[in-house]
Amino acid sequence: MTKNELFPKMNEAIVAGDRAAARSLAEEAARSGLDLLEVIDQGYLPGIQRVGELWEQGEYFLPELISSAEAMKAAMSVIDPELHRMHVGSRMGGKVVIGTVEGDIHDIGKNLVASMLQAGGFEVIDLGADVKLERFIETAEAAGAGMICLSALLTTTMMNQRRLIGLLRDRGLRDKYKVLVGGAPASRKWAEEIGADGYAENAVAAVKLAKSMAGRP
Amino acid sequence: MTPPLLELIKTRTVLLDGAMGTELMARGLGMGTPPELWNAERPESVREVHAAYFEAGSDVVSTNSFGGTPLKLAAHGLQARAYELNRAAARLAREAAPAGRFVAGSMGPIGKFLEPQGPAKAAEFVAAYAEQARGLADGGVDVFLVETQYDLREALAAVHGAQSVSRLPVFVTMTFNSFPRGYFTLMGDPVARSVAELEKAGVAAAGANCTLTSRQMVGCVRALRSATALPIIAQANAGQPVIGPDGVVGYTQSLEDYVRFVPAIIQAGAGFIGGCCGTNPAFIRAMARAIQKERS
Repeated sequence: MTKNELFPKMNEAIVAGDRAAARSLAEEAARSGLDLLEVIDQGYLPGIQRVGELWEQGEYFLPELISSAEAMKAAMSVIDPELHRMHVGSRMGGKVVIGTVEGDIHDIGKNLVASMLQAGGFEVIDLGADVKLERFIETAEAAGAGMICLSALLTTTMMNQRRLIGLLRDRGLRDKYKVLVGGAPASRKWAEEIGADGYAENAVAAVKLAKSMAGRP
Repeated sequence: MTPPLLELIKTRTVLLDGAMGTELMARGLGMGTPPELWNAERPESVREVHAAYFEAGSDVVSTNSFGGTPLKLAAHGLQARAYELNRAAARLAREAAPAGRFVAGSMGPIGKFLEPQGPAKAAEFVAAYAEQARGLADGGVDVFLVETQYDLREALAAVHGAQSVSRLPVFVTMTFNSFPRGYFTLMGDPVARSVAELEKAGVAAAGANCTLTSRQMVGCVRALRSATALPIIAQANAGQPVIGPDGVVGYTQSLEDYVRFVPAIIQAGAGFIGGCCGTNPAFIRAMARAIQKERS
């Protein structure tokens, strides 16, 4: 198949959350020697974008979002090793460290943001829930990440989003990272008040925000 | 014999209670401590919150056991104490209840996704809810209140779990979001299918709680009413949480604005009415007055 035939099919596979199709189309693209970065960018990512739109319109819900992210993962499981062989990085978004802050065990929203970021082309290091603030910084430093995403679902634990930014400042690392915050009680106003770089209301908005922070279209 | 609470709902609007967690925080519950632990360690504080709600006019209070399934308590290493903490939760509410008032055993979501979205299996959920229900029943609840459910499959697992250990009535509230096409849970369960399935599973009452403001709750109750003949439960949020410049947590809907929609919620068809996040005994007292006015 030519790329003009393949790309719409890849898009469809993502929108339908069809893992098997997403994977076999990726295999076909690799066999045909297509430019795999173009395959990601024009074959698969438009599908993820469409899924985001359907979700924002209330047509898609969380199960569909997860299925599509899984289909994206399936495609990338084929493409990533190929690119690696050619010494090309597929994660044009860079590395992101994400977790739910200390004292808070809620991880549904955070998990969703993590998988959508991954589907959106970022390399995601998910530290899980109830993560010690120190660990965010240690991990970001060790991995060479550019972004730290903090989730908090409770009005009590969201204070830890503020604390992390304080910790970064204390160490002279504040300008090294973009810090994004999210979770039910967070808001744009809250992000501004604590000096975060951004706030996203949901997983789809988080990907858009992270892309703009990373200087991607 | 019909349980007395199900008799009462045939005759008048029944008032539930409001938020529990924030009331415990006001009494010193620290970040990271599961509220259920206070059923054992600070029983007087838990009892005090229940007493404040009864005093404000609640006919029914819900136990301090929202996160009390063993699967949820496992995050704090307390899974082995699930039965004990739930039984204590029920006893404390019972001790605070004046004669003729009721205790609902709160059963909140487990917080993990079922397959295929997550790793959990429905049978594990049924067993976890069963263990919680066993503690609540032995502690003396009148009904189970399975609440804040965002996945119909989990709600049904909770109902089946409760039914596997007890013949007490089961109430269920699900958390719906408002969309242009109607009201849906996080997982996309619409109102009509949700109540139809719950009704088939044998619940005694069904409804909505959390997320929606009291203004939005009116439309959601209408949607519920057109989908079922069961008694309907409505427990709206006082808007969304916001942190003020002084660091104090507030909610976007004031008490006056919240209570303004109570008559409309009742007229739309809710029989059980109470509060959720952002409400407190003052809200319940004002709701009691609004219900009184509605009656006369």
